[in-house]
Amino acid sequence: MPADSASHSPVEARATERRPWLPRWLSSEHPFPWLFPAAALMVVFGIYPLVYAITLSLYKRNAATRKMIFDPTHNWTKVLADERVWNAIYNTFVYTGVALFFQLTLGMLIALLLDSDRKGYGVLRAMMTLPLVIPPAVTGMMFLLMLNGSFGVLSRGLIALGIFPTGFSILGTANTAMAGVLTAEIWQWTPFMVLIMLAGLRSLPKEPFEAAAIDGATATQAFFKLTLPMMSKVIAIAVLIRGIDLFRAFDYVKVMTDSGPGTATETLTSYAGRIYFGSADFPYASTIALLTLIIVILASTTFMKIFKVKL
Amino acid sequence: MSFKDHDKKNFIADVARDFAARRISKRDFMKKMALAGVGFSAFSAGLLGGQRGFRGNLGLIGTEAMAQDASVTQWLKDVGSPFKGTKIRYTSEATPPTVVLDKIKKEFTDPTGIEVEVEIVPLEQVLAKATQDVQGQLGTYDLYYLDQSWVATFAQDTIDPTQYYKDKPDLAMPGFDWDDFSKPLVEGLAMYDGKMVGIPFDIPIFMLMYRKDILEKHGIAVPTTEEEFTAAIQKITEAEKANGMYGTGLQAKSGHYSLNCDWTQMVWNAGGSIFGADKKFKGNDEAGVAGLALYQEWVKNAPPESLNSTWDGQFQMMAAGQCALVQSWDEFFPGLDAADSKVQGLWMPAKPLNGKALRAKSEVGFGEVPNRAHQGGSVLGLSKYSKNVDAAWLFMQWACSKDVMTRCTLIGGFAPMRLSSFTDPRVNEKAVVGPGTTRHLELVKWIIDNDMASEPDMPLWAGFSNNEIPVNLGKLLTGQDFGGDPKKCMDTIAAAIDAAVTEAGL
Repeated sequence: MPADSASHSPVEARATERRPWLPRWLSSEHPFPWLFPAAALMVVFGIYPLVYAITLSLYKRNAATRKMIFDPTHNWTKVLADERVWNAIYNTFVYTGVALFFQLTLGMLIALLLDSDRKGYGVLRAMMTLPLVIPPAVTGMMFLLMLNGSFGVLSRGLIALGIFPTGFSILGTANTAMAGVLTAEIWQWTPFMVLIMLAGLRSLPKEPFEAAAIDGATATQAFFKLTLPMMSKVIAIAVLIRGIDLFRAFDYVKVMTDSGPGTATETLTSYAGRIYFGSADFPYASTIALLTLIIVILASTTFMKIFKVKL
Repeated sequence: MSFKDHDKKNFIADVARDFAARRISKRDFMKKMALAGVGFSAFSAGLLGGQRGFRGNLGLIGTEAMAQDASVTQWLKDVGSPFKGTKIRYTSEATPPTVVLDKIKKEFTDPTGIEVEVEIVPLEQVLAKATQDVQGQLGTYDLYYLDQSWVATFAQDTIDPTQYYKDKPDLAMPGFDWDDFSKPLVEGLAMYDGKMVGIPFDIPIFMLMYRKDILEKHGIAVPTTEEEFTAAIQKITEAEKANGMYGTGLQAKSGHYSLNCDWTQMVWNAGGSIFGADKKFKGNDEAGVAGLALYQEWVKNAPPESLNSTWDGQFQMMAAGQCALVQSWDEFFPGLDAADSKVQGLWMPAKPLNGKALRAKSEVGFGEVPNRAHQGGSVLGLSKYSKNVDAAWLFMQWACSKDVMTRCTLIGGFAPMRLSSFTDPRVNEKAVVGPGTTRHLELVKWIIDNDMASEPDMPLWAGFSNNEIPVNLGKLLTGQDFGGDPKKCMDTIAAAIDAAVTEAGL
């Protein structure tokens, strides 16, 4: 028996034993065989499309002749000079900011209400997940109908309350369309925030709250002085995950307003979609998509630095 | 977002619309949703409703009158057997002929053994898929559904069907009868630069539709001109608005092709055109601006939801009794007369509205044809890059044959491409109020023969009509930009279009 294997158990010895016909880099202690499947998937579904999109963005397509001419600056110059891109960036930030604010605030409030071990609360918590299992396109359809100025139940309610005149089209009016789309977004994804906040709340230690209660702290003081600071990391991660997701908003916009009226709800992804599917200008659509990626990377990196989030 | 993901989302939306329009049962709806990976509650399912798409009468499939002729089945068996096991694909919008063909394709597949996969997706996706296919000459699709505004773009990518018919006599369908196709449709839809790009496939076309009872109630004669129409809708809106009814209903959804369709008709009727003979955009000239200004007046006399409605929403307004006068697609008619319609028999067809003298063809560019009736026809093209050209050719002939086209008209409720369909006894028998009515078709034929307009034949038109034009029109109509000034809006569109045309070297 070799001296170095004397100290190993038979199981460990089998694990480190190398098949003589296999090259060293394929031995079980080498990381490559274990990383290969994931790396291959990453290359096929992540890296290749990204490289392809980058390559595409360096070409100029002539719609009349269909020729692709290598012109690395054309699309990037165009994207920066395109007013609709700037409008889309603005809309995307508004969409992300407003949705995040409401989802976070409502999510925390509902989580606080559901953070109880009393009978029936488990069922309530389970019910919160229901909106999450509906595909966003279907949610968009639901709200499209509910916000219809002629027969939509939400529109009729708001008209009955005197907020809007009879027949008012929320999604057909530039000033209110974004709010209409955001209603669907907030309705569907607030439960996601609730679940994250609930998980965070239920993992908080009880001792600081008991000590605060003995010292006579009110519920509000406990929330602002204890709950919020202790939940800050959870909140930061929730904001990061939802923020990135919101920045790619497409479904609700496509189904409910198709970026309209005019460009009132046009986000970066919906604009890229319109260029791709409507004008078939694949290189320019790729450029807008890459611009979105760049903004997401910059924004999330800045956010992580400011709030010291470590993933 | 991948095509697959995009398709799935649109599939879900389409299924929801089908269910809402009662074209599919609740069971089918749940099954299709399950196929799409959807598991949602009955609560949310109950909230889906209200829109439509296909307005024909699929219940006719399988009836004796709709049975395939035995000689056709025999021919398919004879010529199709060498291609047994072949699969052909085509992608199309959910137009009535495509929906019907998808339902009856078994009649082709059974005798030939050729499988047919029909991908039904929204129009803009059809364009993107076809563009990708021809860009890489992939041959993924054997047949192309080509909207009239794309015929110029894809002319180089299809095989001339009349030539192929001559070149392959062994595959030629007996009695196909090319002369049976309506001449204006062949010339207006299928021909480009002397080549037949495809076979005319469908022809939705504008006509005037009016509520007889409402016009009688207010003592209004059926309008024949835009001035009369405007006065009538103003009067009806004023009198009926409190009851939830407006003079007209529009398909003015910002950024959608439907708004472009409405707009082009307004420009033509005002004596204008989209392009001039110098290939410059002319929507911003005096006539173009006057046409748009009149449309702004119409918007004031339409349900506000018009600004968020495509042709689907416009039909809903008509079916729900929210408007009394509409100039739009003839295809709405069978749906208005459907068994469960609240307005069955109340809507009447009439000739399209007259306007100012039409701009002469010599004064317009890119083969545009200004006239009174906007059309949204399409052709079925045989791909030059197909790997199964002959199998696809057999399907194409079968799909566009006399018998199949007539049956498609009866089941799908749309205007036929073939003259023989107009005179078919089964079609004439249905020219009464009721489901699957054809009572509007005589007038439709007159419109095709006399009033049919055509948008410009140019490769960039698909992009302009889906993006620059309807997006800026939407900004104007919804008050997002231009301060209500149609001239400013048209000037913005003109600058964008002229720059793109110059850049493309057209």
